[in-house]
This record gives sequence, structure tokens and C-alpha cells, in this order.
Amino acid sequence: MSFRIFLSLFFLSNLYAAYKYETVLDDLDDAWSFVFLDENTILYTELPGNLKIANLIDKTITNISNPPLVHYASQGGLSEVVLDPKFESNHKIYLSYSAKDENNKSTLFLSSAELKDNSLINSKIIFKADAPRRTSVHIGAKIAFLPDGTLLLNSGDGFDHREKAQYLDNHFGKIIRINTDGSVPSDNPFTNIMGALPEIYSYGHRNMQGLLVTSEGDIYEHEHGPKGGDEINLIKPSLNYGWPAITYGIDYSGAVISPFTEKEGMEQPLLHWTPSIAPSDMILYQNNLYPELNGSFLVTALVSKDVKKVFFKDGTDYQESLFSDLKQRLRNIEASPAGVIYLLTDGPGGKLIKVLPIDQ
Amino acid sequence: MRIAKYPFAVLSAALFTVLLVTPISSISNIIWLSSVDMPISLLSALEVLLFDFQRLGIALFAVFTIAFSIAFTVAGLVSKFTNFGGRNLYAIAGAVAIGVALILMVELLFQTQLLGGNRSFIGKILHWVAGFFGGYFFYNLISSDRSYTFVIRFFGVFYAYFLLGLVLNWIFTPASAAADFGFVLNELSDSAQNALLRDFTSFFVATFVFSIFGAITLNPAWFFSAGIVYYGAALFNLMAVYVHGTAYNQIYIGEIVLGTWPTLLALTIIYKNKSSN
Repeated sequence: MSFRIFLSLFFLSNLYAAYKYETVLDDLDDAWSFVFLDENTILYTELPGNLKIANLIDKTITNISNPPLVHYASQGGLSEVVLDPKFESNHKIYLSYSAKDENNKSTLFLSSAELKDNSLINSKIIFKADAPRRTSVHIGAKIAFLPDGTLLLNSGDGFDHREKAQYLDNHFGKIIRINTDGSVPSDNPFTNIMGALPEIYSYGHRNMQGLLVTSEGDIYEHEHGPKGGDEINLIKPSLNYGWPAITYGIDYSGAVISPFTEKEGMEQPLLHWTPSIAPSDMILYQNNLYPELNGSFLVTALVSKDVKKVFFKDGTDYQESLFSDLKQRLRNIEASPAGVIYLLTDGPGGKLIKVLPIDQ
Repeated sequence: MRIAKYPFAVLSAALFTVLLVTPISSISNIIWLSSVDMPISLLSALEVLLFDFQRLGIALFAVFTIAFSIAFTVAGLVSKFTNFGGRNLYAIAGAVAIGVALILMVELLFQTQLLGGNRSFIGKILHWVAGFFGGYFFYNLISSDRSYTFVIRFFGVFYAYFLLGLVLNWIFTPASAAADFGFVLNELSDSAQNALLRDFTSFFVATFVFSIFGAITLNPAWFFSAGIVYYGAALFNLMAVYVHGTAYNQIYIGEIVLGTWPTLLALTIIYKNKSSN
């Protein structure tokens, strides 16, 4: 009971918390993700295939030359950018994107490159998903590092290929784990399974657009459901997360995808949103700059046009809607090295918005 | 009395084709679910088939109505100005209409295939065949004179089709149905859950059955029965607000619409019966 009272007071205090915002960058061309190079400089992607550096103080934007050639269509293009954990010394970055394969089909690629003098050099494709599709939808494309230095990559179900998420002979609807040179870690869960692709870490996913690894090594992922059934999952190696055999959503057409929401051998989400909020990115905020947010997951949403503050305690999830007064489809969220929260809005003409702590 | 039968023949053919098309997606989905060892039972298969007929079907009904309107108009012109005509012309027009509509749905909707049953070659063929029978059905409807009962029956069946969604929700997914009415089912006591499910399911099933019986028998009492139930719901909704002090609930507007629809059908039948006497 005392915890409930605490929660009530906690949420009540936030109810009156009015955040202020500052638009730092404007008129971005379908920006999709960004990462901080330092407190006042970001490296960001735009879906049409642009990689840029922006100075958040003087607002100057610099194009990075030699980005990968992408297939910009529908939901696809240049997607995620992350820095190597040793970026300070090796200047390596990783980019996920959709591009055409040798059969003129669109699929998910992951490249590494060195960022030097506003140019990408020594670019190398380190992974190409065995997930060819007609057009770039449901590609996933989020990247995260595990504490052992290996890379995780979300590979979406391709929409028309949803059933393949249940089979291990392809990369549709899978979380991939590889080394930074593209090789497969020997301890991947399916390396010794006949017919299974060795890069697969977990399966039975839909369109995953949130992926993070905590300092303890726990992996959290969220994915778009269809109409209803958006999920946050705690990812463990080799496990089947059920899509599309179990789901809390129905198809966009109204059709039943599955009458089942659970089955032995298939994992349940930590939480699911029905109706859908369309989760697009997620961070675990760990800083006291906004003390009321410290220790919470912050999930940007396209449909509900807010950020869901989420935390879990004793198997129950607690949620609160933040920044809904922006009334923007939110594509991405990052905290700067000093802990300042920045939000990226979705689509052409997008903005980078700085969230000012309440006492400012 | 003769009526303008063509619009209602198009609507009826579209609904008939929906009846043929939706099981293609449902059955292909059920087969796949079985193939990955999901415990498909007769009940769960029925759930998929009926839900798809109602929810997927509503969307397809709109698409098919537009497609058939164009295709059958063209077929009518061809029939009028050439030697081609008859049931095969309309059947082919129906098949082409469904085929083209499904291709356009893919091209216009992010190049993705929304209809699961249309992703395989066999599925595509079956959709064309369904369109063929839809055209054939249309020809049968227009090949003889139709009276007002044709329209009454169409609206009676369409009313039942609309209610079917509510019926299925309360039978198969009661928690979701209850949530639509503002209840969190799990937070109610056992007896309250029982009362809610029992009474709401009975309410919608009864009005669904009344409208089906009305469409079959053309006895206005059945349509009046459905109308009385929904007018009653609207009346007691407002009494709850203004006499018992509950929160305002604008669902009474929907209840008035659902009451008026069958009542108009019943009044039309009575009026026509009197006129003919």
C-alpha cells in the first residue's frame, strides 16, 4: 500500500511538471537517428541517405561524404548510426540501412567505417540480412553493443514475410548478434543448429525500433505491433518471442493474425500497448538532471505523439505520458553526455528539440 | 413495385463476394498456425473465420463495391453496344474487378500485401474465382425484376452484418468488448463479470438474430423488436444521466441510429403491405 501511495505522489508531482522546449535544429530531411560526438555536436542520419554533423550551438550542419548507397523508399533508407565503444581512439562508426541486393530486392545492411575529416573511409559491409523484400518496410535497423563488444542488430519481419519470423533459416524478424568485423561469435545460440543462420540471437519479432543494453548487460527491445500489441521485451539468447503465432494485435485490415496471445515456449512481453502507440526509440535515462526521470525507460511514440516514461517493479509496469504538449510524432530520443534530453521529430521538415529541465 | 435494382445488386454482390473472399485469408492463416503447432481447435478456427468475415470484410466490402460499380457499368455498356453479354460477361467483369482491386491495394498501400490469403499464387487465383462468382451472382440479381423486399432484405442483412462484430467481440474476446464499454473486466467481481458477459452478449445476439429473422421472413415484428431494444437502451441511457446522475455517455446517439434502422425497415414493410392491400 505504501508503495502505491508513493507512486501516487510521484505521478502527482510530475503532473504539474511543465517542461520547456527549445528547437535546436529545424527542417531536417526525414532524420532517423542521432548520436552525440560531444555535448554540443551530434552525428545524425537522414533516411534519403545523408549523414551529417550538426553543431548545436552555432547550428552549422556539415555533410559527411561517402555515406553508403541506400534504397530510400517507404520506411527504408539510412537508418541507425552508433559510435564504436572505442570511438575516441579508432573513430569507427556503424550504420544500418536498407539497400538493394544482387537480385534487386531490398534488405537490411550494416556497415562499419571510420569517420575522419568529415568523410567516411575504410567502409565495409559487415552484415547483409538474408531478408530480401520488394520494398523497404519493417526493416528494424536498431543497433546496440553488448558489454563483450559484440553488436546486436534488429532485423524486422518485412511485413509480407511475417511467418518467416518463426523460422531460423532467414533473418526476417530476428535479433542478430555479430562481432564488429562481421564474423559470428562462437557462443551465438544457433551456431550448431542445422539449417539455422548462425547470426540469430533471438527470433519471433516484428518491427523492432527500440534496442538498448543496460550496464548490467540486460537487453531490452520494443517492437511495433500491428493494430495493437506493441511490445517491450526482455531479450534472452535463443528465445522465441512469438510473432506472429501469438500476438495482442490484429492486422491493419482487421483480420485476425492469431487467436492466441500465449503459448508455452514463446515469451510474453514485459508490457504491451493496445491500442498501439507506435514506439520508435527507447533509452534508459540515468542522470539526475531530470531527477523525476532517473532510472526510467523513455520510449518515443509516433502515434500517441509523446514519450512514455516506463519502469518496472515486482513484475508490474508503471507508465506516464511525457512531452505530449509538443504534439509531434517523435522518432528518436537521446540523452547528451551531460544528461540533457533531445527529441527528434519524424518525417520531412523534422526538428531536434531540447527538453529543458524543469528548474530552467 | 419495381425498384432501381442495380445499386442494391452491386452492394449485394459485393457482400456475397466478401463472404467468399475472407475465408481465403482465414484458412491460409489457420493452416499456417497449425503448421507451427498452434493448438487450433474448431472454436478457434471459427473465431478466425467469423472475425475476418466481419472486420476484414467491412474494409473489403467498400473496396469491392467501388470495383464492382465500375466493372459492371463497363460490362453493361459492352452488353448494350456489342453482341457480348450474359452471365459470363458479368462473371468475367467481377473476376477482373477483384483482381485489379487487389493489385491496386498493394501498389497504393506501400507495396505491401495486406491480404494474407493473396500472398500465394493459389490464393490469388481463388480471389479471382471469388470475383467471378460475385459477377455471376450480380447477373442473377439483375436478370429479373426486383421488388422493395430486395432492398429490405439487403438492409436487414447488412444491419445484422454490422452487429456481428459486436456479437463476436462479446463471445470470443469479452475483455476487449468490455473495455470498449468502459469496463475493466478483471477488476469486476466474479458475479459482476458473469452478469456483464451474460447480459451484453444476450443483448447483441438477440438483436442480431431478430434482424436475420426479419430479413428472412419480412415480418416487421422482428425488426420492431430490434428497434425497441436499441431505443430502450437510448432512453435508459438518458434516464441514467438525468435521473440517476451518472456521467453523460454519448453512445445514446449510436443506440438511436441502431434503433431507427430496423424500425424504418419495419415501417416500410407495413406501409407496402397496406398499399398492396
